[in-house]
Amino acid sequence: MPVKKWKLEKGANCYNCGDATLHDIEVDEFDIKIRCRECGFSRYYTFHMVNLPRK
Amino acid sequence: MKVHLRVFVEIENLGKAMNALVEAGITGFYILEYKGMSPQDWKGFSIKEDPKSAIGLIQDYATDAVLVCSVVEEEKTDKIVESVMETLEGEKYTILEVPIRRIIVNNKDLEKKRAETWLLEKEVPCFYCGENSVQRIRIDMNKAKIWCTNCGASRYYLIKGVEKGGS
Repeated sequence: MPVKKWKLEKGANCYNCGDATLHDIEVDEFDIKIRCRECGFSRYYTFHMVNLPRK
Repeated sequence: MKVHLRVFVEIENLGKAMNALVEAGITGFYILEYKGMSPQDWKGFSIKEDPKSAIGLIQDYATDAVLVCSVVEEEKTDKIVESVMETLEGEKYTILEVPIRRIIVNNKDLEKKRAETWLLEKEVPCFYCGENSVQRIRIDMNKAKIWCTNCGASRYYLIKGVEKGGS
């Protein structure tokens, strides 16, 4: 089943500038991107593995 | 001075011991489960030296027991011990009082505090079970996990890199 890109927001202290700001979070099947709206600091995550329950 | 109070009890008496300790005023504690044999049970045994026999003997003969540990003020120790002894009268227990010379507690530094875990949710059809259910997203500094609250299917991501001030 294909996964549509999710666009989320999270208010949190930025790892880089330390300000309490909004972060844009984009999630798709293979990547996650998080970007601070204040300073632009971005973190990129890449798909590692999947754990599926028995159906 | 403070005292490290260690109360060894059989597992069925854990509740009683905990209630006695809390009533007597302990604040924090930790618990360790263990399998133990007292000297009278142990007397006369000699173990075959292969690991299987040794483990087998412990599994067959040792008692399930719990060690409850707490750090208490020296002047409060007697009251706490009396409370435990009263509650566990007729039961098997051991109490150790170990003097503490020094306590060092280190709190997380500010840098680590900032690297907090984020938790988010999104309600969409799950990629695996197809049900429209809450997908939980947990983001740490170096990894992320997304899982379906309906079927439990999980996807794991690892940090690939960071970009300062990227557009």
